Amino acid sequence: MRILLVEDDAEVARFVRKGLQEAGHIVEHAGNGRDGLFLAASEQFDILVLDRMLPGGVDGVRLVETLRGQGNRTPVLFLSALSAVDERVKGLQAGGDDYLVKPFAFAELLARVEALGRRPTMEAPATKLKIADLEMDLLSRTVTRGGRRLEIQPREFRLLEHLLRHAGQVVTRTMLLEKVWDYHFDPQTNVIDVHVSRLRQKIDKGFDRPLIHTVRNAGYMIRAEA
Amino acid sequence: MRALAFAFLLAAPALADGNEPVPRVTTDSREYCAELAERLAALPASHGEPVRSMAEEGRRLCETGHPRVGVAKLRRAIRAARVAE
Amino acid sequence: MPVPPVPLDDAPAGWAALMRFLRSAGFRFALLFAVVFIGASALFALVLWYATAGSLDRQTAAALRTDTLGLMERWREGGPGALSEAVAERLSGDVENTAIYLLTGPEGQRLAGNLDRWPAGAEDDGAWITGIVERDGSRVEARIFTRDLGEGYRLAVGRDVEEKQRLRALLAEGFGWSALGAVVFAMAGAAVLRRALENRLRPAAMTARAIAAGDLSRRVPVAGRRDEFDRLGEGMNDMLDRIDRLMEAVRGVSDAIAHDLRTPIARARAKLEEALADSGDPDSLRAAMEQGIADLDHISRVFGALLRIAEAEAGARRAAFAPLDLVPMLADVAEFYGAAAEARGQALSVDLPERLELVGDRDLLAQAAGNLLDNALKFTPEGGQVRLTARAIGRDRVEIAVEDSGPGLSPEDRARAGERFFRADASRATPGSGLGLSLVQAVARQHGGELVLQEASPPPGLRAAMLLGPG
Repeated sequence: MRILLVEDDAEVARFVRKGLQEAGHIVEHAGNGRDGLFLAASEQFDILVLDRMLPGGVDGVRLVETLRGQGNRTPVLFLSALSAVDERVKGLQAGGDDYLVKPFAFAELLARVEALGRRPTMEAPATKLKIADLEMDLLSRTVTRGGRRLEIQPREFRLLEHLLRHAGQVVTRTMLLEKVWDYHFDPQTNVIDVHVSRLRQKIDKGFDRPLIHTVRNAGYMIRAEA
Repeated sequence: MRALAFAFLLAAPALADGNEPVPRVTTDSREYCAELAERLAALPASHGEPVRSMAEEGRRLCETGHPRVGVAKLRRAIRAARVAE
Repeated sequence: MPVPPVPLDDAPAGWAALMRFLRSAGFRFALLFAVVFIGASALFALVLWYATAGSLDRQTAAALRTDTLGLMERWREGGPGALSEAVAERLSGDVENTAIYLLTGPEGQRLAGNLDRWPAGAEDDGAWITGIVERDGSRVEARIFTRDLGEGYRLAVGRDVEEKQRLRALLAEGFGWSALGAVVFAMAGAAVLRRALENRLRPAAMTARAIAAGDLSRRVPVAGRRDEFDRLGEGMNDMLDRIDRLMEAVRGVSDAIAHDLRTPIARARAKLEEALADSGDPDSLRAAMEQGIADLDHISRVFGALLRIAEAEAGARRAAFAPLDLVPMLADVAEFYGAAAEARGQALSVDLPERLELVGDRDLLAQAAGNLLDNALKFTPEGGQVRLTARAIGRDRVEIAVEDSGPGLSPEDRARAGERFFRADASRATPGSGLGLSLVQAVARQHGGELVLQEASPPPGLRAAMLLGPG
């Protein structure tokens, strides 16, 4: 993916850029809002990673508002030291697609960047999600594996749906918490792990090929190959 | 306030003087005294008291130049005489 | 509290002081009072005038009308002769000496009466005039009513109203003095009102001034009359208490940061330094760095929790308040933590009513309820019981309670459990930051309530209840 990183802290920028490049992405970097806006408006990117507060008179929120005003729909991930919920809401209202509070683990950033950059296309909403021999019917809300129907609770269904929509991508615990439960706080314990392991019991138990994989220091991934 | 009063003083005679002389009340005179005395004399109770002395006093006042008071006395006498009837 | 005599207004200095006086609310209230008072007095005077001076006029008019009616009766009965006699008779009985009559014939000649000529301006039939007549050498005012009797005969009936005019003037003079008195009273009343207003406002103004000068401990003395000024003072005091609490919260956060964030930072730093010093083995170096990152993550989580508490304590999230039904929210939270309970072999039971409406912040309430459950699950042994209940108390209070079958807390520990970073000795071994209940307490207070800790029934165990009031 071609990624534009707008971040004024040189050290953070270097670290993020290096990490994204190692993950196989092309990264352009701008050190202030003005340059960032110029680059974002004049070139084509798959995703913008913006610091919320930027020097140069154009901050992250202004930058996104300007781009959206011009009809530019490139996905935007905010990086911010401002954790207050109001700030998050402000960022998302301006047209941001995701919001990550500093300090963050690089794995978290990478997972979110990849999830945003490869969002499912909106034109044809799928009615079935499939991986290997696991099939999810979104209309009848049933899950089958190898033709056998699995008993799945509503919340587990949403959890599995989210994993399936990002099949082959790392999904972090925080992402699951935000997207599946709509909680924007720290639950203090590893409850997410418990939920995932319960789901795993139902999906993978009794089958020789596990689908849900734990990615160390990052989160979970559903994929067909081992 | 003073200006208003002054204007009124000016206006009042002008209003009255206008084209015609001001009408005069004729009953504050010795002639009317005489008329009243005549009228009283025609009343039957005119010789009783206190009508008689009141009429006497009225006549005297008219003659000594106080027709207004005299007229009032005589009128009172007439009224008393009428009541006495 | 003794109040030093600080003048509310500085020494008046010419024009500026006058302008300030004219603009003052006290002056405007006083002016309003004066205007209303004078208005009421004027209305009163008007009514009185109509009833006295006005009635004199009306009396005269009525007498003239009756007199004229009687005379016209005589005219109809006996013609000019009888009317002349009637006029002469009436004149002769006029003891008050105010009657004026004039009967004129077809050629305008006088037939009877005591006017020497027809008054000017009274030519029409039924004319009412107020004119001047000469009487005994002086000019006096008279009211005259005229009628055409037909065949050229005309009758004028009048009254000398000089006496009444004099009475009227006397009345007018009385009214004038009363008006002067009313104005004086109005001014005096206005001054008293202004003074009273100023005196009642002075404590509030002085407190505000002292606060502005930096003395935040000052409060408005309340007179105890339970009036508007007391309410103003109480409102100001509540506001000041609130500011005090906010400042306290800010101090609390900085204390916490200074004291409790430095410890884990120091720990992480020590570990990294140690690893650097004996970095012979790359595996142990790697393990040390991973541990360092985990320590930093922990610090950043504590930091996040502190900020969240501060956010709740500042009440800054009132913007996120919206009407919500607590029941589905609590059911979600219970389902979320229920998985953890199940994994530990604990039984989580839930007892919720059908609906529980509240105005609040969904995210913070969910987090607070989650913290209560998380706490209970942590301290309850395997196979224990945790129970989440919610109910309405009265019309507008709600209780969310979590009861566990853990070891419970001693009364001393219960009293301190809401403090930041407080951890009962027994819980030192359990992971946690010691901020969970602080957040619950902050959220409860933000929603106009409090956190109540009790012994569970039956003991042992802890019952933690969030009471949410009408915000």
